[in-house]
Amino acid sequence: MNVVFAVKQYISKMIEDSGPGMKVLLMDKETTGIVSMVYTQSEILQKEVYLFERIDSQNREIMKHLKAICFLRPTKENVDYLIQELRRPKYSIYFIYFSNVISKSDVKSLAEADEQEVVAEVQEFYGDYIAVNPHLFSLNILGCCQGRNWDPAQLSRTTQGLTALLLSLKKCPVIRYQLSSEAAKTLAECVKQVISKEYELFEFRRTEVPPLLLILDRCDDAITPLLNQWTYQAMVHELLGIKNNRIDLSRVPGISKDLREVVLSAENDEFYANNMHLNFAEIGSNIKNLMEDFQKKKPKEQQKLESIADMKAFVENYPQFKKMSGTVSKHVTVVGELSRLVSERNLLEVSEVEQELACQNDHSSALQNVKRLLQNPKVTEFDAARLVMLYALHYERHSSNSLPGLLVDLRNKGVSEKYRKLVSAVVEYGGKRVRGSDLFSPKDAVAITKQFLKGLKGVENVYTQHQPFLHETLDHLIKGKLKESLYPYVGLSTLRDRPQDIIVFVIGGATYEEALTVYNLNCSTPGVRIVLGGTTVHNTKSFLEEVLASGLHSRSKESSQAISRSASRR
Amino acid sequence: MSKQSQGLQDMNPSAMEGLTLTCGSPRSLLTAFDRTNTESAKIRAIEKSVVPWVNDQDVPFCPDCGSKFSIRNRRHHCRLCGSIMCKKCMELISLLLANKLTSASRDALSTHTSPNQSPGSVHGSRRGSIGSVSSMSSVLDEKENERIRCCRHCKDTLLRREQQMDEREHTPAITRLYEKLRLCMAKVDQKAPEYTRMAASLNAGETTYSLEQASDLRLEVQKMYELIDALSKKILTLGLNQDPPPHPTTLRLQRMIRYSATLFVQEKLLGLMSLPTKEQFEELKKKRKQDMERKRMLERQAAPESQCRLEDKQRGPAANGEVAPTRKAEGWLPLPETQGQREDPDPLLQQIHNIESFIKQAQAASRTDEVRTLGENLRQLQDEYDRQQTAKAIELSRRQAEEEALQCEQLQRLREREWERERERERKQAASLHSRTQALDSREAAPFLLEPSRGPRPHPAFALELGSSSGSGMAPETPSPCAVWALSQESLHQSTEPQQNDCALNSFSRDFFSSPAVVQAKLPREYNPFEEEEEEEEEAVAAGNPFTSPDSPAPNPFDSPAPNPFEDGNDVPNRSPASPPVPGNPFEEPTGTNPFEVDSDSCPEAEEPIEEDLLLQQINNIKAYIFDAKQYGRLDEVEVLTENLRELRCTLAKQKGPPE
Repeated sequence: MNVVFAVKQYISKMIEDSGPGMKVLLMDKETTGIVSMVYTQSEILQKEVYLFERIDSQNREIMKHLKAICFLRPTKENVDYLIQELRRPKYSIYFIYFSNVISKSDVKSLAEADEQEVVAEVQEFYGDYIAVNPHLFSLNILGCCQGRNWDPAQLSRTTQGLTALLLSLKKCPVIRYQLSSEAAKTLAECVKQVISKEYELFEFRRTEVPPLLLILDRCDDAITPLLNQWTYQAMVHELLGIKNNRIDLSRVPGISKDLREVVLSAENDEFYANNMHLNFAEIGSNIKNLMEDFQKKKPKEQQKLESIADMKAFVENYPQFKKMSGTVSKHVTVVGELSRLVSERNLLEVSEVEQELACQNDHSSALQNVKRLLQNPKVTEFDAARLVMLYALHYERHSSNSLPGLLVDLRNKGVSEKYRKLVSAVVEYGGKRVRGSDLFSPKDAVAITKQFLKGLKGVENVYTQHQPFLHETLDHLIKGKLKESLYPYVGLSTLRDRPQDIIVFVIGGATYEEALTVYNLNCSTPGVRIVLGGTTVHNTKSFLEEVLASGLHSRSKESSQAISRSASRR
Repeated sequence: MSKQSQGLQDMNPSAMEGLTLTCGSPRSLLTAFDRTNTESAKIRAIEKSVVPWVNDQDVPFCPDCGSKFSIRNRRHHCRLCGSIMCKKCMELISLLLANKLTSASRDALSTHTSPNQSPGSVHGSRRGSIGSVSSMSSVLDEKENERIRCCRHCKDTLLRREQQMDEREHTPAITRLYEKLRLCMAKVDQKAPEYTRMAASLNAGETTYSLEQASDLRLEVQKMYELIDALSKKILTLGLNQDPPPHPTTLRLQRMIRYSATLFVQEKLLGLMSLPTKEQFEELKKKRKQDMERKRMLERQAAPESQCRLEDKQRGPAANGEVAPTRKAEGWLPLPETQGQREDPDPLLQQIHNIESFIKQAQAASRTDEVRTLGENLRQLQDEYDRQQTAKAIELSRRQAEEEALQCEQLQRLREREWERERERERKQAASLHSRTQALDSREAAPFLLEPSRGPRPHPAFALELGSSSGSGMAPETPSPCAVWALSQESLHQSTEPQQNDCALNSFSRDFFSSPAVVQAKLPREYNPFEEEEEEEEEAVAAGNPFTSPDSPAPNPFDSPAPNPFEDGNDVPNRSPASPPVPGNPFEEPTGTNPFEVDSDSCPEAEEPIEEDLLLQQINNIKAYIFDAKQYGRLDEVEVLTENLRELRCTLAKQKGPPE
């Protein structure tokens, strides 16, 4: 149940199968991302792959002394490109791998195009998803739904991605879905359909307890993606944005040329691997240690080489030093930028109020704090809008809801029309009407006592008190207590025992905070292995884009009016 | 007619199939036709039997151009697929081409046999078949200047086939070079671990492998590296000065190959452990022998303690004697604090401390292999010490146990006596008192028990005393002038602020001209912890982002050339014409500048080949770094490296120039 390992193994197998000799890797736009997540350039160079080309690039040179490894998604365009390629082959021999199930007719047309008999192999390798962390995958789809229903193209892509994941992990699961979401039901049925259609592929060794696929919808928890984060990976994504492990730092003031874009990959960066789940304060001290360590190792660059021994020392230490200096400068730059943004945007204060909005039920204090922050000139319009969104979601049906007042405050603050509209759009997207379960008030006695105790003890860290709703869902699932009335099974097969291997998929995107929750659950519950996936991995910005893309804001005017009306009526 | 046109439409996709499908059958035909005579009628018959000709009546129009066949516009049959075309659309294949194509396909024929072919299916798919060509050409062999008549489609397929064959036969230069490169890499992969094993064993002072053997292997591996470097460089520059410059993709490929070769060299080469010199090896061997002896001795130490004490006494100075030469040879000075302030009771402990200080110095000088060997020594010593301590402890406890047993015996006897007395009393007294007296008895016995148990305690104290006395036996060893210098230096270093140190250093460098010894003492200072820089670092961090650009010159404290006080000190003697070392060649008198090289440089003859080798290797490495740095556009780094390279080259030239 390690998705990074699964994809990496596919790629390694591809390269090994082609034997010795110079190789070129032919990919499409999506597979380029898939490969780059698990392999670095220098790693793949050592396996004799020297060139990376896009199948759709037109001016590739004829190089008959190269072998071509094609890793492509089985789309119509790719098959067409490949047919063209095979008619006029540019490389000596072709090893073709499709990232998903390919139709027989496509294979036939490829065979017909292969007049010069250059194809050595055609195979399906199910690496059809982006492996972000060992337990987190994404499909990099932004805006998967139109209104409440699937965009048909994205539905088929998601089904493909999810079935490829199941195949690569060798799981034939029992499927459950969130009843309140139409999209979840549709996807669950599509996946089931593929499994029964390709039943030969899904014949794996039966485990005692079958694996479980749980399909959720982002609508059920719109709070989590709206919060500021304080653990390294989540924070970097929230404040800087991670795209296929890459971070764009070009907007950082005074950035040097080779740090414009940096790669944060746990596979090749030990420091990142050890720190991605730690919180900001811990990272500060770890960075300090890293630097001290670095100082010990750094050679004196200006030092003259006086003797053979000096030279030897210099040469021996140089690459190590260079590698380390790369890591150090990268992380120091990133953390430096994070802390700059935190102080510039007054994020500590903002986050405290966010957490209060998300976790506590004191309306008057929350309202007061939000109002106070809206007056603060350091708080950006983005953060102001998200505070109001959180307020709107939590106190949507509160008797003394004063959302209209806050919206006026937003306008007075000069927050743009776009964000003000988004407030109601978010409520439309993930408001109470849509939610299948209750996000804010605890339901059962245990949870109530828990919250009561928490109130007594106080929280250790105000900035990380929020637990994503997913935590509760998974906790119930692991204990076998997840209600079938809310999360029904697809088909007749149900799970009697507690599940062991769980794949959770969030339509509308997962978050790194949830990934952390899953990571912690994996660590703390022996015998249970969870993999989290989403149509994408969100930060607040991309989540708002998702909301925007769903097109719900168009109807938002009336509904927000309806809300205010209902509020005033009470 | 309709049948034929259909066949033509089918033709494109199936032409390729035809190439393979028909390959098998003509073998038998071929041998049969070779023997037949060549009269034209018979030729016609043979031609027709190679491929069934399309019936004339079926094709009223030329399928390619659509012109009507008549007396003037005659039908022609393609000899390869049997189809019909007009004269204009007819093509001819020279026998030369046919031979070329068939000679290659004959090899293929022998491997490629598909006998289960129905002759009926041949009809449409014969087009462009090599099988047809080969049977036709063999028939026509004797008729000079004869060419094979065929249709345009067949000819296209054949020409494409020819091109493919040409490509297959031709191996571009890059492939040849690349294959050589991979061969070298494979050899390195095979040899390097072997060498590492050897070097590790030699560095541990073992005699499993001979030093010559290992250095031969090292040389071999290094030659491979040079070859890899040269080959990849050749690949990099391939076709660069051709008139139409190579396609950018080709250039990219060449760059990538070079880059991966550089990576390979960097990764593998730097893992190559260096070998000890002959002297060092002897030293190591001696050390190991001594270690073994000591181990054996320790085993013997399990004997009574008095003997152990005696041995300790003897061994104390002996052990010091062992350390002294190594110290001189290695150039490490024990930190004065161990000598002056901390007198360790045990010679072993003392030695451990000494080695610890050596390691510290070696680390500061970043001489990692020395650190490694020293670390190993340290570990051995520590193990030994532990073992000794446990042996002592065991001995002690054994004694204690013995004594205790003795005491118990005595006690028992006493008790028995007491019992007897008791019983006597008992007879006299009432039975109720019995238990109390017993309790009292045991209380009585307690102090008795305690007293003798104190017995063994003096032993460790004694041992301590002994240890310290043997330790002090080491103190009289007169410290060398160097040590004195180092001592004063050390105390100076400890007492003064870094800035003051600066001044002190300046005065030292002025002193340099009068006494070279000062420099010797001063140099180790260079390797002391980077107090100054650390301060800078912290400041920089506080200021914001110190690493924003480690490679760009301005905001990086690491690159800033100014604030290294030690370097200034070094440069002065080198630049000054009055200084004893010849400027420009730091290697001629390394003794003057580097106290650590005393040993290796005292016998340059033995070192020479390895050093030159190392130089070459270093040059190559640095070149690789320059390349690397250039690729990423870090110009300042390139500059520094280039300077280093120049120096190295200069040295090499000098070493090579005057052979003796």
